[in-house]
Amino acid sequence: VNRISRVSMFSVALVLLAGASASAQVSFVGEWNGRYHEDQPDRIPGEEPGDFSGLAINEAARFFGDSWDVARHSVLEHQCAPYTLPYMFFGPNQFRIWDEKHPDTQELIAIQMHLGTYQQHRTIWMDGRPHPPEYAPHTFMGFSTGEWNGDILTITTTHIKAGYFRRTGIPASDRLTVVEHWMRHGNLFSQVTIATDPVYLTEPYIRSQEFGLMERGNTNWLYNCEYVMELPTEKNDVPHYLPGRNPWIGEFAAKHAMPHEGVRGGAETLLPGWTPGTPPAAPRAGANGGFRPEHQPAPLAAGEVKAVHVQGNVHMIVGAGANIAVQVGDDGILVVDTGAAGMSDEVLAAIAGIAPPGKEIRWLVNTTIQPDHIAGNEPLSQAGRTVNGNIAAIVAHEHAAARLLDAGVPDAGRPYNTYFENGRDFPFNGEPIVIYHPESASTDAESVVFFRRSDVVAAGDVFRTDAYPVIDVERGGSVQGTIDALNRILDMTVPSKMLQEAGTYVIPGHGRISDEHDVVMYRDMVVIVRDRIRDMVDRQMTLDQVNAARPTLDYDGRYSTEASPAAAFIEAIYRDLTGAAATGSSR
Amino acid sequence: MIRMWCSNRRIVGRALLVGPVVVAIALAVLVAAPGLMAQRGGGPAGPPQTARQRAPVDLTGTWVSVVTEDWRWRMATPPVGDVASIPVNGAGRAAAKSWSLAADTAGGNQCKAFGVGGIVRQPGRIRISWQDDQTLKLEFDAGTQTRLLQFDAAATPSAEKTWQGHSFAVWEGPGVGRGAPPVGDPRVTGGGVLAPAVPGGGGRGLRGGPPPRQQAQINRGGHIRVVTTNFREGYLRKNGVPYSEEASITEYIHRLPTHPNGDDWLNVVTIVEDPRYLSQPFYTSTNFRLEPSDASFAPTPCATPPPLPVKD
Repeated sequence: VNRISRVSMFSVALVLLAGASASAQVSFVGEWNGRYHEDQPDRIPGEEPGDFSGLAINEAARFFGDSWDVARHSVLEHQCAPYTLPYMFFGPNQFRIWDEKHPDTQELIAIQMHLGTYQQHRTIWMDGRPHPPEYAPHTFMGFSTGEWNGDILTITTTHIKAGYFRRTGIPASDRLTVVEHWMRHGNLFSQVTIATDPVYLTEPYIRSQEFGLMERGNTNWLYNCEYVMELPTEKNDVPHYLPGRNPWIGEFAAKHAMPHEGVRGGAETLLPGWTPGTPPAAPRAGANGGFRPEHQPAPLAAGEVKAVHVQGNVHMIVGAGANIAVQVGDDGILVVDTGAAGMSDEVLAAIAGIAPPGKEIRWLVNTTIQPDHIAGNEPLSQAGRTVNGNIAAIVAHEHAAARLLDAGVPDAGRPYNTYFENGRDFPFNGEPIVIYHPESASTDAESVVFFRRSDVVAAGDVFRTDAYPVIDVERGGSVQGTIDALNRILDMTVPSKMLQEAGTYVIPGHGRISDEHDVVMYRDMVVIVRDRIRDMVDRQMTLDQVNAARPTLDYDGRYSTEASPAAAFIEAIYRDLTGAAATGSSR
Repeated sequence: MIRMWCSNRRIVGRALLVGPVVVAIALAVLVAAPGLMAQRGGGPAGPPQTARQRAPVDLTGTWVSVVTEDWRWRMATPPVGDVASIPVNGAGRAAAKSWSLAADTAGGNQCKAFGVGGIVRQPGRIRISWQDDQTLKLEFDAGTQTRLLQFDAAATPSAEKTWQGHSFAVWEGPGVGRGAPPVGDPRVTGGGVLAPAVPGGGGRGLRGGPPPRQQAQINRGGHIRVVTTNFREGYLRKNGVPYSEEASITEYIHRLPTHPNGDDWLNVVTIVEDPRYLSQPFYTSTNFRLEPSDASFAPTPCATPPPLPVKD
C-alpha cells in the first residue's frame, strides 16, 4: 500500500508539474497584510496637511485641499466613512481573499475579499458581466470586474463613492475609475492601482504596494465604529478654511525644507529633473480616457425609460425627465413626480411592468413645480383611480398649487390634495408615507417623501447628483433652506452596518440612487460654497468679483453643467444673501 | 472464495499500482504537449530557444520613472538619518546617521546611491535593449549606470565587485517560450456573452456564466525574476541608508497590460534582504512609463544633492 501511495503521489505530482506551465491563472486565495516600506509616515501615522506631493492633481483638487480642515473627519456622518478604493490599500489594511466557484462547473465566478479595515466586502466579478448603469448606487469599494492577462489579474472598478486620494483632503470624485493589476510571487502579493479621475487628476495616478501572506492568521477582522459628538459644536457644521485663510498650507514644505512648488503636486513634479520653476505640464491628450464601454457606467439610450427596484416596495423610474419614485403594494400604486412632457406613455408602461396585477395608481405626489418633474400629472392622474372612483389624487404643498396656477398649468395638471403645514403623513401599502416640506429649498414649494418601512427617501430637487442645486430665489428658494433640507434628509437616513453605506436609500431629483454618504458630501459642498460667497459678500464684493474669484472651482468639474452652470449657482446664492435683484434666471 | 478474493486483490493492487502511472503520464503528455509544441514553434525539434526568443513580453524601450510614491525621499536628498519606511536594524540606523556626502565625494564613492539596491528608486529613465540573445541591458541615465541581466546561467561574474553586480535572470510565468506579442497586435476584446446588468449594481447573477475574459494577445503575463550578487555596498536611499555586500537582492520586472489610455507601464518589485543592516526584507515597487523614444534619455554622472536640513 505504501508503494501504491508513493507511486500515486508521484503520478499526481507529475500531472501537476506538467500542468503548471500551461496554467495561466494564479491563486490569490489567502489572508494578506500590508508591507509599508514606501510612504510609511503617510500610510500609518497619516499624512501631514498641505502635502500634495506625488500627485498629478489639477487646480480644482489643489483648491479643495487648501480648503480642507482635518476637523471634517469629526463630522458625525464622516466619522465612520471608510476609505474609498484608491486609498484603501494604501492605508493600514489586511484582507482575506477567497474564490467563488460554480459548484457544478468549478468555473471562477468571482473573487471575494473581506477587508479588515472598515470591515469592507468586495466582489470582483470574473464572469464577464458589464458594469452597472449610471443610475446604480456607488459604494466605497465600487463595482469590480476582473480579467486575466496571463498571470496578471487586471481589475477595473467603477461606481466608487467620492472620497480622498489622501486623508488630508486631496479629493477623489465619484467619476473615478480604478484599474488594478494583481501579481503574485510566492508569498508576496503585488498590487498596482491606477486611478483615473477626470474631475481632480490631469492623468492617471499609479501606485503599487506589497502584501505578505499571513500564514499564522490574525483575528483583527472586525471594525467597530460608532459615531459620537466629540466636541460641543453645531451638529451640522462643516469645518473648512476659506480661500487664502488656511494657516497650515505652507507648514509641510517648511517643516521638511521641501520646495513649496513641489509639495503642491502636479504632473510635472513627478518626472525626473523637475526643479522649482518647471512650468506646469500640459495635459496629455486622452490621458484620462480610453476605457472600453463595458468597463464604464452604461448610459441610458436616448428615449429609454427604465424602472429599477430600489428597496422594499419602492422603485425608481429613470429616463423620463426627473427621477420618479414608485411605491407598489396591495393598496395600489403611489407615484412621486410624474416626469417630463411627452413621456407619460413610457412612464405608465414602466409602472405597469412593476405593479402587481390589477393594481391602479391611487396617489401622486409632486415634490416640486419644475416641468420635468410634474408635466405628466394629468395623464398619470387620469390613468389612475382613487378608491372612490375619481382620478388619482395629486398631493403637494399648497405653495406648489399656487405657483402652478400662476404659471398657467391647466386644472387637470395641478395638485388639489394640498397641505399647508410643514409635513403630512398617511399609511399606504402597509407603510407610513411621511411627507416633509422644507420651508425654502429649490423653491418654497418642495416636498420630500420618506417611505418609512421601505427605508427610501424621494428627495426631489432638494438633492441631485448630477449638478449644483437649482435655487430659484424668485420662487422662494434659498441656500440656507437648501442646506436645512439636506440636513433634514441626513436626519432621516441611517446607514447599514457597512459603515456609512446603503441603509436608507435616497432617490435624488436627478442622478443615481444614493445614500447618506452621498447626501453628506453634497451638503458639505453647498455649505462650503455658501460660506465662501457669504465671506465675499461681507467683504462688499460685487457679483462679478465673486464670479472672478471662482468660489466653486473645486466642484465645477463635478457639478457645473449646461443645465445648472456654476455661474447660476453662484448668482443664486449671492442674490439670496444680498437680496440683490436678478441679473438673469437662475434656472 | 478466499483465494479468489486474494487473487482479485492482487489484480486490483496491480491496477492501483499501474493505473495511476499510465493515466498520469498520459495526462502529463496531454497537458504539456501544447507548451512543448509552442516552445518549439510547433515545428520539428531545434536548438533551445534563447532568452530573447522565450520572452513572453517585450520589455525593450525607454521607460521614465513617475514618482508618485516616496516623493520627498526620492526627489530630494532627505535629511541625514531619515530612515522612514525602511526596516533598518540598529547597525543600519547608526550607519545612516553617520553618513556624510562629503566623505563619499572625497572617497570616490559618489555612485553608492546608484548601485543595484537603490538605482531603481532614483528618478530617471531606463533604456532597455537586448545586448545579445541571452543578455538584457538596462541603462540608467541617473548616474550613467548599466546593468546586464544574464539569462545564461553559465555566465560568470566579473572578478571585481561592481555597483550593479552580476544579475542572473529567468523568465517566469505562463507566456514563457511563446515569444512577445508582435508590435501592433490588435487588441482582443475577448469572447463570451455578457451578462445583463444587475439593477443596483450588486447581486450575484449569472452563476456559471461565460469564462473570464482573456486578453492574452495584449499581455500574456510572464515576467523576469532577477537575482543579483557580486555587488559593492551601496545605499537604499540617497541619504546613505545602507545595504551591505551580504545582501540578497531579488527583483521581479513586469510589463503591465496596456492601460486603456494607451500608457504602458513597467513595474519593478525589489526585495532586499540584508542581515547586516535590515531587520526584515525591504519591499518596494517602482513604476515606469514607456516613452515614445529615448530623446529624453540624458545620462548624468553620479551626483547626490546635499541633504535637506534636519528639522524638528
